[in-house]
Amino acid sequence: MDQFFQQLINGLTLGSLYALIAVGYTVVYGIVQLINFAHGEVFMIGAFGALSTYLLLFDDQTQVWILPIMLIGAIAASVITAVLMERVAYRPLRNAPRLAPLITAIGISVFLQEAVRLFYDKIPGFPSAKQRIPFPQIDVVTGPAIQIGDVTIQRAGIFTMAALAVCSALLWYFVNRTRLGRGMQAVSQDPDTASLMGINVDRIIVVAFAMGAVLAAIAGVSQGLQNSNIDFRMGFLAGLKAFTAAVLGGIGNIQGAVVGGLVLGVVEAMAIEYIPGQFGGSSWKDVWAFVILILVLVFRPQGLLGARVVDRA
Amino acid sequence: MHQRSVVRVGASLLVASLALTACGSRGEDDAGGGTSDKKVAKIGVIAPLSGDLSALGLGIQHSVELAAKQANDSNAIEGWTIEVAPKDDEAKPDVGKNAATALAADKDVVGVVGTLNSSVSQSVQPVLSSAKITQVSPANTNPALTQGANWKTGPARTYPGYFRTCTTDAIQGPFGARYLFEKAGIKKVATIHDKKAYGQGLVETFTEEFKAAGGQVVSAQTINPDDANYQAVISKVKPSAPEAVYYGGEYPQAGPLSQQMKAAGLNVPLMGGDGIFDPKYIELGGKTSTNDLATSVGAPTDTLETAKKFVADYNAAGYKDPYAAYGAYSFDAANAIIAALKESLKDADSAESARQATIDAMSKVQFDGVTGKVAFDQYGDTTSKVLTVYKVTGGKWAPVQTEDFAK
Amino acid sequence: MNERITERLKLPDSVVQKYGRFGWPLGLAGVALVIVGAFLSWSYDPDVLGDLSLNLYPGGLQILAIIIALVSLALLLIVRGPLKPRFGPWVDAALGLRAAGTWLLIYMALIVAGISAEAGGLINVNPGGWVALLGALLLFAGSRLIAPSAELRDLSEAKVPSSLEILVIAVMMAAILFGAAYALGREDAWSFVLFLVFAGGLIAIGVRTGFVTWFGHSSIRNRKVLTLAAFVVAFFFPFTQGGSDANMSIATQVLIFAATAMGLNIVVGLAGLLDLGYVAFLGAGAYVAAMLSNSAFATIDWKPPFVVVMLCGAGVAATLGLIIGSPTLRVSGDYLAIVTLGFGEIFRLSMFNLDGTNGPLLTNGPNGIPAIPDLEIGSFNFGDTHEVLGIELARFSNYYFLLLALLAFVILVFTRLNNSRIGRGWVAIREDEKAAEAMGVNTFGLKLLAFAVGAFLAGLAGTIKAHQDVAVSPDQYIFLESAFLLAAIVLGGMGTVAGVLLGATILKLLPEKLRFFSEYRLLFFGLLLVLMMRFRPEGLVASRRRQLEFHEEDEELAVAVESELAEEVGK
Repeated sequence: MDQFFQQLINGLTLGSLYALIAVGYTVVYGIVQLINFAHGEVFMIGAFGALSTYLLLFDDQTQVWILPIMLIGAIAASVITAVLMERVAYRPLRNAPRLAPLITAIGISVFLQEAVRLFYDKIPGFPSAKQRIPFPQIDVVTGPAIQIGDVTIQRAGIFTMAALAVCSALLWYFVNRTRLGRGMQAVSQDPDTASLMGINVDRIIVVAFAMGAVLAAIAGVSQGLQNSNIDFRMGFLAGLKAFTAAVLGGIGNIQGAVVGGLVLGVVEAMAIEYIPGQFGGSSWKDVWAFVILILVLVFRPQGLLGARVVDRA
Repeated sequence: MHQRSVVRVGASLLVASLALTACGSRGEDDAGGGTSDKKVAKIGVIAPLSGDLSALGLGIQHSVELAAKQANDSNAIEGWTIEVAPKDDEAKPDVGKNAATALAADKDVVGVVGTLNSSVSQSVQPVLSSAKITQVSPANTNPALTQGANWKTGPARTYPGYFRTCTTDAIQGPFGARYLFEKAGIKKVATIHDKKAYGQGLVETFTEEFKAAGGQVVSAQTINPDDANYQAVISKVKPSAPEAVYYGGEYPQAGPLSQQMKAAGLNVPLMGGDGIFDPKYIELGGKTSTNDLATSVGAPTDTLETAKKFVADYNAAGYKDPYAAYGAYSFDAANAIIAALKESLKDADSAESARQATIDAMSKVQFDGVTGKVAFDQYGDTTSKVLTVYKVTGGKWAPVQTEDFAK
Repeated sequence: MNERITERLKLPDSVVQKYGRFGWPLGLAGVALVIVGAFLSWSYDPDVLGDLSLNLYPGGLQILAIIIALVSLALLLIVRGPLKPRFGPWVDAALGLRAAGTWLLIYMALIVAGISAEAGGLINVNPGGWVALLGALLLFAGSRLIAPSAELRDLSEAKVPSSLEILVIAVMMAAILFGAAYALGREDAWSFVLFLVFAGGLIAIGVRTGFVTWFGHSSIRNRKVLTLAAFVVAFFFPFTQGGSDANMSIATQVLIFAATAMGLNIVVGLAGLLDLGYVAFLGAGAYVAAMLSNSAFATIDWKPPFVVVMLCGAGVAATLGLIIGSPTLRVSGDYLAIVTLGFGEIFRLSMFNLDGTNGPLLTNGPNGIPAIPDLEIGSFNFGDTHEVLGIELARFSNYYFLLLALLAFVILVFTRLNNSRIGRGWVAIREDEKAAEAMGVNTFGLKLLAFAVGAFLAGLAGTIKAHQDVAVSPDQYIFLESAFLLAAIVLGGMGTVAGVLLGATILKLLPEKLRFFSEYRLLFFGLLLVLMMRFRPEGLVASRRRQLEFHEEDEELAVAVESELAEEVGK
């Protein structure tokens, strides 16, 4: 039973990370019906933004007050990337056939990864991003694990879960209680009517991209703290998993993304522990995640919590 | 009518240019430039010169260049100049195979130093072997490359032209096991590897020796090298309460693994092979990596006279990139080929005709190299079995024990 | 887009009117200078760009300049001179000259830049180089001053004896063969790039003068001859290599890539189903072949003849295709893309895991199955060097012929399917699935068929790839490879044969030849995808019908497509 709680905690930690990224997929999809395949790269750039802030301002320090400033750096980097991406690459394709934005997204994704890999160390004082880079270990949120009975909880894990809780609450407030948030809801339900009612659709779309980027940036910092290192490839798998989480929860549905992320994380952790024999263990966890993705898409495309399914032909 | 005039103009131009052909002479003839009438033999290099592992690859290239330069300066082979032909393999088998094909097509090439990755060698070996080109790897540790697929049960040499200057996993794993059990007094270990030939081989040979010595392997796990989060594996290892973790793999995974192990409350040392013996490991592992262990091949570089000279010469030559982890082995590999060439090129007309003779001469090569005594056994493996244990102390790898490990 | 640039480069009408009469002599002087310059030394250093240092004996790159100059001369003579009466009404010589002027100028500027970069400084450029550059400049200026021909007749109406048409096709194909052999022979990147500029220049001239249009029409009329000629040329390619295997190794990789991309073209280009995990089918074929091979690392103890292995590999791939195709019943569009992406990852991870510890021992995990012996069909061993017509054909040449046959088969399947009831069903599904279903098209069956056929062909290619590559390992089948295959199709032109072949060649050949560029290869790849989608989503060689899908508002194009369709039906 100890192992069950241990894996539950591991799963929730992992799931919180997925959930934070998944929100970005879901928000953008809900509004423009676009799978922003390059969202994983926004997450990666967030982590690098935080690292850059740290290297520029506080190299070799570990006090906890640095963390908020790193977060701001991460958010700035991610939001700028996401907004530029929308403006330069996606907006001109808004009425193009479905294939075009998806291929564009793959292109952006490869481009951003390579840009970071090739040019990060061109900035004076920055390490080469061709290999994994150590991520700063900040007091309080990293360090010796907390032991409750036989269950170990990592400090970075607590930070991630707390970040998800705070972000979800703020997000809920933003979407339901602010003018801009209600505008988003309106556009996602009917963009044409919304625009007739005087809502600036372009602006709403930019806000959606930016909002996803903020959460992805926080996820990037969380992953850096948890793994103690980051690299330019980290966005691909995380992005794919987060997309799975978004689909699992019902793409377009913000609560769904959070639930989907947590469920996916826990399922992965449990698969490691409880699938017996050769197909258990951490080697197959990614396979199980993708199997779930395919099963959900085939048998319940509206996801766990359900979402308005648009015909995607 | 009009067409004809075009034809006429074209034809006259063609005739004119043909006529002019007779007047000039181009290229080739004056290639030697008159400095000497020496013949050229080339040593190829196949290594990752671009991409993630380029630091290691460029170190290999420059070390070979240094060896060739010294041989030419001392006129080591009468009547011959040695040139280096570097080719990039991007650490990919496909690209490596193209590089090998290009080298095999170059009639001046007699030997190749490379590759870095065992997986690339698997693709390069058949190409070079069918062209009878000697290949000496400074870094391939997979035993199957020399001793065939069934190296554990019935070793058999598959490619007679393949040699290496580094020790195989079959030696390093047991050496680590012996050290942990006898010197460090650790009786319970957990093993983790990355499923690649190198890591798996290390862990298998380690486990065998550790159990034979009377120790206990309490947990055996694998990770996917693409992963960056090892929480799942650590959660599985931790309840079995090992006194140390033996990791088969390379530093990009080992560093974070060590860090995450300790952050999750598993405060035991991590030990690995030469794949984690790199300053980057300590950087990635953070402060908590202190007391982690690594085994590496050869004696520490500052204890051997030849090694000190190599380091001094390399720095004096002013190469842009450091000699890195495999520079010394590459230098020895190149010198082994040069030593064989002394025999094979003696009465050869062309470099191409000396290819087979070079392979034959390789087995007799013997000299004191940078990494110790250089000589090859019947499989093409190095006979040197000197190994050293290092420990992370004060943010650096410090040698703990050097031993000639006869199995 | 090209047209827009040309428009911008055009001189104001008043200038053309005033100085127009100088255009022709200026152009002629330019051509003369280029030719004279090409016979002089361009470079002081004989070691750069393949030795351009000799007087009166032009090197390879100088001959290329002469060729463009001679083409320009012919065009000048069409504008005014002996060729005018015959070709004047048909050939748009003025526009062709502009293209020639622009590209020759780019070419000469690159030559000068190349010499100074390689040899260290402009000082190494000899007078000949400057003379030719000046000539190019004059031609460039002169061509801008020549007023375009007022009335041109439609080249599709030009009546030329079919024997001449076939001759032109043969000459073009021979030129491609010679050009390919020459380009592959360039060792240094500068020479290679310069050759590409030269080829680009010729193509641009062809497009501007209308030659390409005419050639297109005549090749439609003589399609069989064209296909045959293309294959004959491809067949003779190894004989131009003089026994060297270095380029053949690259050529075989291009062929495998092209054959796989062509298979994917059925799924994406014809049926319109986006598949982001396609490389898994290639991998399935390769793994089956490796497991059934005589390699000491092979995991299955059954060694059937290669034909059986091919069928097994293709069969396994096709089965996987059916499995992955089955969700198409319920998901489509982007969802399908993600399903296939997930499937591709599952395949790679499974190959990674099935090593005996984490699953049955099938694939040796990340180490893969190395040391796969060469193919042996009958007594013909693909590893040996054979001598044909006095030319040595080594290992890769042998595989090249086999792969060429495979590619021919794949193209045959592709075109047959495309022109059949099935192909029309796919087009219907692609353009409007609901309407197609309403019209009685069996959409689910046809979609499954597309996946199965595509996977089958990729599986076939995979079985040969395993032997040709000597080793299989999971990291050859990563997502990026699928993206590359897709990019070959997008770049070349979805649903076309020529486009995909072109795209595959560009994507595989350029990075091999431009080594200096390999570090930035992926960066440009990503950028290329974004730019293509933005500016030319239909690809370099676009099928008209496809083009219309991307440019729905283009009335003219719609009319053209309709008349083309009518023409096809009429035949």
